[in-house]
Amino acid sequence: MQPYMDRVLTDAERGEAEAHLDECAYCRKRYRFEETLRVFVQQAVAAEPMPVELKRKLSELRTPLQ
Amino acid sequence: MSETTREPDARQIATEARDRVRFEEEALALSDQVYRVARHLVGSREEAEDLMQETYARAFRSWRSFQPGTNLRAWLLRILTNLNIDRGRRQQRTPDMQPLEEGDYFLYNKLEAAADGDTDEERVVERLSQNDVVSALSEVPHDFRDVVVLVDIGDFTYADAAQILDIPIGTVMSRLHRGRRILKQTMADQAVEGEVA
Repeated sequence: MQPYMDRVLTDAERGEAEAHLDECAYCRKRYRFEETLRVFVQQAVAAEPMPVELKRKLSELRTPLQ
Repeated sequence: MSETTREPDARQIATEARDRVRFEEEALALSDQVYRVARHLVGSREEAEDLMQETYARAFRSWRSFQPGTNLRAWLLRILTNLNIDRGRRQQRTPDMQPLEEGDYFLYNKLEAAADGDTDEERVVERLSQNDVVSALSEVPHDFRDVVVLVDIGDFTYADAAQILDIPIGTVMSRLHRGRRILKQTMADQAVEGEVA
């Protein structure tokens, strides 16, 4: 399932995977769960933005204009 | 005229200065995205901040080695991951890989069991807090974590991750698979521990 979700299967393989998902309710549920989890993880980490202070310090690293 | 020997140099210097400014602006514009990855490659905010400053200082110093038009974000992350390695991160023993009989279904089944049969996917995931995710990530052994963070948080392709970490693409895939399983297992443990009996 992971290669399918990561979109790295060949067209033929993806076709097989999708055909299976059409027929198998359990796998469909698992797929939806994995997707939801993936989105959740991404949102969880996005919720902690870069500290403003750090951004300022990084700008200070810029080459001063002559 | 003697002017002609000086003019090209002046023009060159001006061009280079302009390129350098543009490079630094583009690099800084990516800092939020780079931070998002950095934050979860290391254990704490403080480490992430130190690492970011070191990375950008080095990036600005070696700006000429960046090929314009190529993936600047990946280039920055490469510097960052190399610095992280140089800093001599804690050696973590790779835990014994007990076979997960339920395989990738481990988290799903555990959460489902705790939910007393309520198998609505969104509700199941809601049992996890954001802190669960962040702390679970920090517990994944670093070799696996590097790949999970780059692919799942940094949204890099397998190929980019392979280049950033300087490992074969097959290794990216196997570490990604293992890392995700460990992550889900850790989150499952946390989610269930959080349940009041």
